[in-house]
Amino acid sequence: MKDSFFYPILFMLVIVIIFVGVLAVAYRSSEGKIEKYRIDEYNKTVLKLMADKIAAAIDADASEINAAYPESFAQYVKELPESDLDKRAFSAVVHDNTVAYCFEIKGKGLWGSIRALVALSTDYRTIIDFALVDQMETPGLGARIEEPWFLSQFRNRFFILNPGTEELTGKYEYIAETQEPENDMQLRRVTGATITSDAVVRMLKGEISEIYKHYEGQ
Amino acid sequence: MKRKDIFLTSAFTENSVWRQILGICSALAVTNLMMNSLIMGVGVIFSTAFANMTISFIREWTPRSVRMMVQTLIIAAYVILVDIALKAWLPQISKQLGPYVGLIITNCILMGRAEAFAMQNKPLDSFVDGVGAGVGYTLVLLVISFIRELFGFGSIFGFQVLGAWWTKWSIMVMAPSAFFILAMFIWFINTYYYKVKA
Repeated sequence: MKDSFFYPILFMLVIVIIFVGVLAVAYRSSEGKIEKYRIDEYNKTVLKLMADKIAAAIDADASEINAAYPESFAQYVKELPESDLDKRAFSAVVHDNTVAYCFEIKGKGLWGSIRALVALSTDYRTIIDFALVDQMETPGLGARIEEPWFLSQFRNRFFILNPGTEELTGKYEYIAETQEPENDMQLRRVTGATITSDAVVRMLKGEISEIYKHYEGQ
Repeated sequence: MKRKDIFLTSAFTENSVWRQILGICSALAVTNLMMNSLIMGVGVIFSTAFANMTISFIREWTPRSVRMMVQTLIIAAYVILVDIALKAWLPQISKQLGPYVGLIITNCILMGRAEAFAMQNKPLDSFVDGVGAGVGYTLVLLVISFIRELFGFGSIFGFQVLGAWWTKWSIMVMAPSAFFILAMFIWFINTYYYKVKA
């Protein structure tokens, strides 16, 4: 029977139905949990990126703001209405004053797209904080752009140097990971991940200039 | 063969990496940090053991012409199940693992053990063989990653053991270092474990 023409087809069909069925049930039963976790993680990151500014405005500690999620998120963070900018955008509002903005940005890495969240000052020129949402870079090499030392070096950096002109920063230079920056225009590159490190700066430059031009014109 | 012998043969005597030169791609890719290696190893142990057992259980009914498709499907199903379970119940660990879980599907060791052992042996023996193959693979990964992480980052499992005086060896963080460390490791095993004469 095993040598017949139809047996392998039927056997394969049965095996596929069983395993795909098991996977479908497993996926469906955990889908809600996975989605809730994904949304919570995303919102927590948005809050964390703007927590320093919120904390400064209400004279509290950023860790308290983060610990009070989801109440603090509901109280201080507002999602901005969709615009032709085509990016998810949030603002941190304290006593009716906007203290920071947060945007979802995208760029091209070595192997795929990089999705990140960047919190900007209210004049859209300075990075308050920066975090990655998704990336598909090489584990252990390019994927190390998620490490705190790499991300934190973008804090408080001007990405629009001269307001009102088209001049964007092109002056940041990368130095080796093991070197100490000698000035504010130097960034440490992930060893063995030149293309990915460059892609992050390229993404920030491109996306922040787009955001700046869009909102500055309004 | 006793189950203990099956385990020892699979893990050491006929180790998938140093004896059969399988699973090299992932051994090169994930060994720059010990934690990555351990997590990858645990994933491979689980997937190899259960895939082996399932493939062995249905081996009498599996037609030869489609056996490799069946094996791939079963391996992929177990790996996806692990991925779903981690995402739902251990999301932090899942995030840390990133793409490593998915990479297990492409690991030659799983197909190798399915084809070489599970298709000819009983389910429980196949399960033990799978655990052995996974343990042997994990050991190799940990040895390579120990050297790479220590010299490349000055740390072991993320804990800094070499002080600020240590100049980190960039080459150890990059993939080429895994090539020559693995080659030296295989040479060492051949010389001192198998007593192979040059």
